Amino acid sequence: MQKALHYRNLLPSSAGGSAIPPPGDNQSGSVNLRKLVADNAVVVFARKGCCMCHVVKLLLNGHGVNPTVVDVDDHNEGDVTDQLSRIVGAAPQFPAVFVGGELFGGLEQVMGAHISGELVPRLREARALWL
Amino acid sequence: MMNSTSTQFVPSRRMGIYEPIHQMSMWGDFKGNNCLDASTPMILEVDPKLDNQSEDTSHGTVGHSNKYDQEASKPPDKVLRRLAQNREAARKSRLRKKAYVQQLESSKLRLIQLEQELGRARQQGMYTGSALDASPLSYAGSMNPGIATFELEYGHWVEEQDRQLADLRNALQSTETGDVELRIFVDGGLRHYCDLFKMKATAAKTDVFYLMSGMWKTSGERFFFWIGGFRPSELLKVLLPHLEPLTEQQRLDLGNLAQSCQQAEDALSQGMDRLHQILGAAIAKQLGEGNYLPQVGAAIEKLDDLARFVGQADHLRQETLQQISRILTTRQAARGLLALGEYFQRLRALSSLWSSRPRESS
Repeated sequence: MQKALHYRNLLPSSAGGSAIPPPGDNQSGSVNLRKLVADNAVVVFARKGCCMCHVVKLLLNGHGVNPTVVDVDDHNEGDVTDQLSRIVGAAPQFPAVFVGGELFGGLEQVMGAHISGELVPRLREARALWL
Repeated sequence: MMNSTSTQFVPSRRMGIYEPIHQMSMWGDFKGNNCLDASTPMILEVDPKLDNQSEDTSHGTVGHSNKYDQEASKPPDKVLRRLAQNREAARKSRLRKKAYVQQLESSKLRLIQLEQELGRARQQGMYTGSALDASPLSYAGSMNPGIATFELEYGHWVEEQDRQLADLRNALQSTETGDVELRIFVDGGLRHYCDLFKMKATAAKTDVFYLMSGMWKTSGERFFFWIGGFRPSELLKVLLPHLEPLTEQQRLDLGNLAQSCQQAEDALSQGMDRLHQILGAAIAKQLGEGNYLPQVGAAIEKLDDLARFVGQADHLRQETLQQISRILTTRQAARGLLALGEYFQRLRALSSLWSSRPRESS
């Protein structure tokens, strides 16, 4: 149901890759995450098999949201952390959820917003919801 | 002067060691009064000394003679009343003793129950058995010190909780308590729950399985357990009837909250199930080779995730409490907190009442 992008599929060298790294900005072969989070309403960065990520996905799905999921593994973790640090200003904890191009937080923030009722308006703002 | 006070005080020169009641009893006896309660020990103790004293009194001063005459001609109903008070005091003393013994009995049963639980926990637990003393009394000392600290702090937390609830109950029952004062109670109550969640987070770092299995709670509470504590949706169901009357908006908001809670719980439960499987699979990998360190080592890494799960569940509990407090008026929130606290008190009492119930003799 959801778009789970494998990191390698995003590399410009592979067919069907959608992310194009701007020249000189990143190491060759890595994905431009800045563009990724800007282009997608909801993006979840999580370690493969992480159970907290599973919970985040369930919560978002419950609102009818199909988040873009970026699987973080040993190969790309360094690069992902670097890029996200530059975007956010600090090293992120996984799972990391971006809504409307901005870092929303981790499971705790998503859960808190879900309970307080703030999540839905934010999702709607980011055009993640169709209703 | 002496006459009026003679019934109250014993002249120290003569009979300083005797209490006034003893004196009266003695005089009752001296007068040949047969209304003494034979079962009251203090009267009996005084008797042997009676003869000596009566000899002395006959040689006493005029003042004393006067006093004794006064005593002897005292209306019998006052003496009877004093004796009745003796009996009453003795009866109450017997009742207190009986209550104390009953309390000892139920504590003994609780101790037996605890020893059994500890025995089971030791078998199932993560501690290396050989390092532990077999005696259950030293178990708490030789187990993880972080956990021993937690149990101690939790005991204090419960005591403080009981105190806060008693104060809150009084405040709500008094017609003079205003919203400002109630707000202080509500904020204090919510903070107290936050304190508990912080304590649990620290304890989870030392032994997450302990947290997960609710070992610090009574067995009754464990029956209602969900990921290290109470189920938030359950909490709402308990509170709702006690919050009436509610406005339509409040009803709507609480309904939404109940739904969000349920969704969050379901998501966390499913995440837990997954972690359960992953952890189990990690431990079960490559059995039969005799070497367990790599697999157990890999499993231990996952325990961090487990600790985070308990943290997330506690966070959900905290958010739910705070959202409830936002939706309600101060007075409603105060009533809600009281109802919630009493609910948990009853759960805590459930186990000890069950274990100390009178059993049929077989």
